[in-house]
Amino acid sequence: MSGVLGIAGYVLREAASRKFILAFLLGVTGVLVTLSLSLRIEVVDGALAASRLFGEVIDTDIRALDVALKPVFMAAAAVVFYGGILFGIVSCSDFAPSLLSPGRIEHLLALPLRRWHILAGTFVGVMTLAVFGALYGSVGLVLIFGVKTGYWTVGPVIAALLACVSFAAVYAVMLTTATLIRSAALCAALGGITLVGGIIAGFRTKIAPFIEEGLSRELFKGVTLMLPRLSSLAKAGMDLAASTPLGVQSLPMLLMGVFVFGLGVLAVGFWWFEGRDY
Amino acid sequence: MPAIEVIGLRKTYRRAFRQGHEALRGVDLSVPEGSAFGLIGPNGAGKTTFIKSILGIVQPTEGTVRVLGGSPEDPSIRARIGYLPERLHLPGSWVAPTFLATVASLKGQKPDKAANLRLLERVGLADALGRRIGGYSKGMRQRLGLAAALLGNPALLILDEPTDGIDPMGRVEVRRLLQEEVQRGTTLFLNSHLLAETERLCDRVAILGDGKVLREGRLEELARGGARWAVRFAPGADAGALAGAGFTAAEGSEGLYHVEAADAAGLNAALDKARAAGALLVELKRDGQDLEAVLASAMGVAA
Repeated sequence: MSGVLGIAGYVLREAASRKFILAFLLGVTGVLVTLSLSLRIEVVDGALAASRLFGEVIDTDIRALDVALKPVFMAAAAVVFYGGILFGIVSCSDFAPSLLSPGRIEHLLALPLRRWHILAGTFVGVMTLAVFGALYGSVGLVLIFGVKTGYWTVGPVIAALLACVSFAAVYAVMLTTATLIRSAALCAALGGITLVGGIIAGFRTKIAPFIEEGLSRELFKGVTLMLPRLSSLAKAGMDLAASTPLGVQSLPMLLMGVFVFGLGVLAVGFWWFEGRDY
Repeated sequence: MPAIEVIGLRKTYRRAFRQGHEALRGVDLSVPEGSAFGLIGPNGAGKTTFIKSILGIVQPTEGTVRVLGGSPEDPSIRARIGYLPERLHLPGSWVAPTFLATVASLKGQKPDKAANLRLLERVGLADALGRRIGGYSKGMRQRLGLAAALLGNPALLILDEPTDGIDPMGRVEVRRLLQEEVQRGTTLFLNSHLLAETERLCDRVAILGDGKVLREGRLEELARGGARWAVRFAPGADAGALAGAGFTAAEGSEGLYHVEAADAAGLNAALDKARAAGALLVELKRDGQDLEAVLASAMGVAA
């Protein structure tokens, strides 16, 4: 286990030295600080009486606070989910290819580590980064709105964690791709395809009737059946963030689907990596 | 117990839709513990594949590999090996102490900042501790790689072109450092295209060509110069008297003679006879082949 954590630390150190990841953290911090300084909310008897952004009055009706904040938290959950995964795909695409590069992988394989430690460590390192980023943004948002309105909810934090679960499935594809072909561009491309496929898979029952009946429809159903239903998970995250009833039938089943998909893809990567020469 | 024992090692790189490439064709090699062993051979001879095979980086198609009495797949065995790859890729944005601390932790060693700093000083990087590795010269990177290989006092050092990119003075320093390691009892396995360096550092050498070991043994045995000496006398020496003492004149070089002597006593007896005949000795050296000639002749055999 120490080998896995050691590689995870290696990945995190590598991440800490990358300017765009630091820029992302600074950007999130900037948004949170700007929001906390520029947004003024007045709450009277649990209702949103008035709110000002950069000193300008936001023209809204007086509404119950939780109702008024629903669209804000839903939008934030959507941004964290899709924006976070997209940023993760771009920013983490070259961690594995870089670790597997000639001259580095030989050095790592000659250290007293098991081969699977290297892949598992990379996965753990990237996911630590994703969880930290997601928690940093979502907890910051909850704190700002909590302090300003007195309305506390863990919904946005749970939504951010669901985004991380979805990113885990996407990154499993990217990591496995890196073991097959060491290319950051290809890793990012397949990560993007998985995200798009995952969005389509979430709407598969709605899209299927638009496809001609027969082989093509069955093919579509078959392919999308294998993919994690990321858009459904995003919807669930938005509902949880806004504390509204879940639109999806079963969140545990959705999570199980993502877990099985990610584990299956990772198993292929681990198997291939074990037998590969460098 | 040999530090490295390889029997019938074969490695064929298989490629989809293309013919496979046989890099190693049945290599048998034994590296004694505590020796300084050099592996030489032309490009494409299979040297790097051999090194990767004994580290478990490349999986042999056939044959057995035992390193330090165990399998190279065993992490506890690899923990006792220090390895410097041919083209070490280092994280450019890190500083040397961070890199070394990370490698030490991956090797399962306890954090020891002072020991790491001493090691960096030993390889000549004391003045570059705060600089990013990305700004290092090739030689400095090699030194850092060497420091990483030396972490934890390994029992076996496997170095692939360790002085590549290092300036001549730096090479002397690296050589001294490696000699210290060998004196300490470390087995050194060196792959270098600099034959002079291999000659100075190693006591045993194997020549790899076309995926096979062509020659292997102690350097003196390979050079085959044990009994033959080249002697230069000052001009005016009596050629007849020298011939009578066992000296044969070399063609094209005035005053240069060859003499066969099985040991030091025989050599001195011949020299005494020459001096008694009035010849003045100005130069004496063993008339053996250098490693380059040994390699060339071995490759001739291979062809």
